[in-house]
Amino acid sequence: MTGWILLALVGAMVAVDATSFPQVMISRPLVSGALGGLVFGRPLEGAVVGVILEVYHVGTLPIGAARHPEGGTAACAAAGGLAAAGLPAEAPVVLVTVLLALLWERVTGRSVDLGRRLNERIVQVWRPGPDPDRELERRHLAAAGVDGIRGLVVTVSGALATLLAVRLAAAWPAQSTVAAAALGIAGAAVLGGTLDVFGGWREKGRTFLLGVACGLILLAVA
Amino acid sequence: MRLTRGAGLAMLLRSFAVQASWNYRTLIGTGFCFVLLPVLRAVYGGGEQLKDAVRRHSGIFNSHPYLVGIAAGAVARLEAEGAEPELVERFKSAVRGSLGSLGDRLVWAGWRPVCALLGVAGALAGASWWLAVLLFLVLYNAGHLAIRVGAFQLGLRYGRNVAEQLRELPLDRVQRSLWHAGAFLVGVLAPLVAAGELLADRLPIAWVLAGALATAVGVRFGTAIRLPAAVVLVLGVVVAYALGGA
Repeated sequence: MTGWILLALVGAMVAVDATSFPQVMISRPLVSGALGGLVFGRPLEGAVVGVILEVYHVGTLPIGAARHPEGGTAACAAAGGLAAAGLPAEAPVVLVTVLLALLWERVTGRSVDLGRRLNERIVQVWRPGPDPDRELERRHLAAAGVDGIRGLVVTVSGALATLLAVRLAAAWPAQSTVAAAALGIAGAAVLGGTLDVFGGWREKGRTFLLGVACGLILLAVA
Repeated sequence: MRLTRGAGLAMLLRSFAVQASWNYRTLIGTGFCFVLLPVLRAVYGGGEQLKDAVRRHSGIFNSHPYLVGIAAGAVARLEAEGAEPELVERFKSAVRGSLGSLGDRLVWAGWRPVCALLGVAGALAGASWWLAVLLFLVLYNAGHLAIRVGAFQLGLRYGRNVAEQLRELPLDRVQRSLWHAGAFLVGVLAPLVAAGELLADRLPIAWVLAGALATAVGVRFGTAIRLPAAVVLVLGVVVAYALGGA
């Protein structure tokens, strides 16, 4: 039970960090995944899920008022669910976890959108009264509180869904190499697509190829 | 009146929560007023003047959250100098678009992905999980805090002339360097991911070549590749479980 309470608190912190306060990026999947695993005593499994989801999110940019998936809480939920199941990070189970997280981040992204609409009401209904500065502070901070509650709900519910799914997945035999290959191929494709963020092939093709050469050397040495 | 160091520090701390009430109508307008409140209270005290100032500053405003200090610092200085409300409003309108796009380019599309890729590279290169996470958090937040503090210093020092000072900074060069670093890191990570290092489990050569091809397809189609990549994951689940433990 302690693990679930901690997960709820971490989920709330991750959600609030993404936009409301203080944006130190514990809301990145790389961090929130590890934290989700850590609360159940399995940080390594959480970090594996977090690293994979980070690869998917590097190219997602929160530009302007764009609506985008919320990867932080989804990674925290997925890693927490996997860790709570007490399963090792084997390829088929990780694949199912990552796929669920990619679906769940659509739901969490939608909840962010709803939260922003609720904030419209929180700040628009208000008309300055006798104590306008205090009232503005109260409403502004209340919005952050609502964001935290939202994070708590989507993280715990996502983790429960993941827990059920991975327990089911682990009960069936699966081909480990195919699952690992799917993660590798999809991850490599998404990573290639991330080059777009830095100017794309036309502008940064040479730098990218230099990096590939270094990556191949790393692989050969490792 | 002269702005105190305490008011500046209070604004800096409040700026970490500038987006708490982000919404589609006023964007970070309420948050901007929240950041300015220590100065508004010092300048206007209370009563009708404070009420009017709160109303003026809680309207629509937008900026990258880390750069909001440029606008907040400058507006605080203008308010402390007793500038006309129309002038303050014109200044806010002039900077709000550019502070958003500047921060998006430098931080969201530059500093943050570069630091995240470094964290991932650390993890895939065999560093322990906490070291990779710590590398990312420490590196990223060193830049984050420097930008926030620097933004307030600029705004407070130069007031309404802050835009001219911004033009003097080598921001384009910084962005180009970040993009080079990002492209290089994507290149370093691509072979590692294709080879199966995400699970620290080297894949057979045929799958590695498929991963290399997938990288090339990703480079060709850019971030639009996310959906086809998700389809690959679904197919992976179907095939892996269809084949069973064979």
